[in-house]
Amino acid sequence: MSAWFADVLIVAGLAVMTLGVYGILRFPDVYTRLHASSKASSLGVSLLLVAGTVGARPSAAARVVLIVVLLALTTPVAAHAIAQAAYHRREPMRSAGAVDESGHCPGATSPSPRHGDPGA
Amino acid sequence: MFFAGIAWLTVLLGVSVVSVGRARTTAERLVALDTAVLMLIGLLGLVAAQSRRTYALDAALVLALLSFVSTVAASRYLGDRRPFTEPEEGDPR
Repeated sequence: MSAWFADVLIVAGLAVMTLGVYGILRFPDVYTRLHASSKASSLGVSLLLVAGTVGARPSAAARVVLIVVLLALTTPVAAHAIAQAAYHRREPMRSAGAVDESGHCPGATSPSPRHGDPGA
Repeated sequence: MFFAGIAWLTVLLGVSVVSVGRARTTAERLVALDTAVLMLIGLLGLVAAQSRRTYALDAALVLALLSFVSTVAASRYLGDRRPFTEPEEGDPR
């Protein structure tokens, strides 16, 4: 019973991580690749680690809880730091329909100024 | 099942390491490197579960911490040309 549950968690984690790697390969620019990297891969790693705790000793389960909490806290911060660096370096937005409201990055369309916008 | 997971995750780790080399810009390279380290953490978790030993989980914990600090330091360097900046007088940041 518990081995069956661990197998389901492993298959789900591997599927999510495969989607993350596929997104890294297929998405056109940094800003979209960060979605695949930060969200999909950290969820997949968490599923794989939780699969290892099924039927394991409490010391292993405590370490896994620590790693999962740490990943949930640090992955968004790291992804935000990469996105901020890319934005400061004016990395182009290559994905179709990208909108950059500051008109700062090449490749994105800046929206037309709204009616009544100060300074427009 | 753990063996199949370890094999498939090794393939994914190889693909993400190749995508580190194929990245066009430094930020894309940083994203791919972050993903490769996540794959390595998952691999260490599977190895720990398969061999019923916990020291691989300690290595995974250290790797997660080190990956966070190095990613933040490298991206701060990439954006501001220095890892950690003191806020200037009157700087709103």
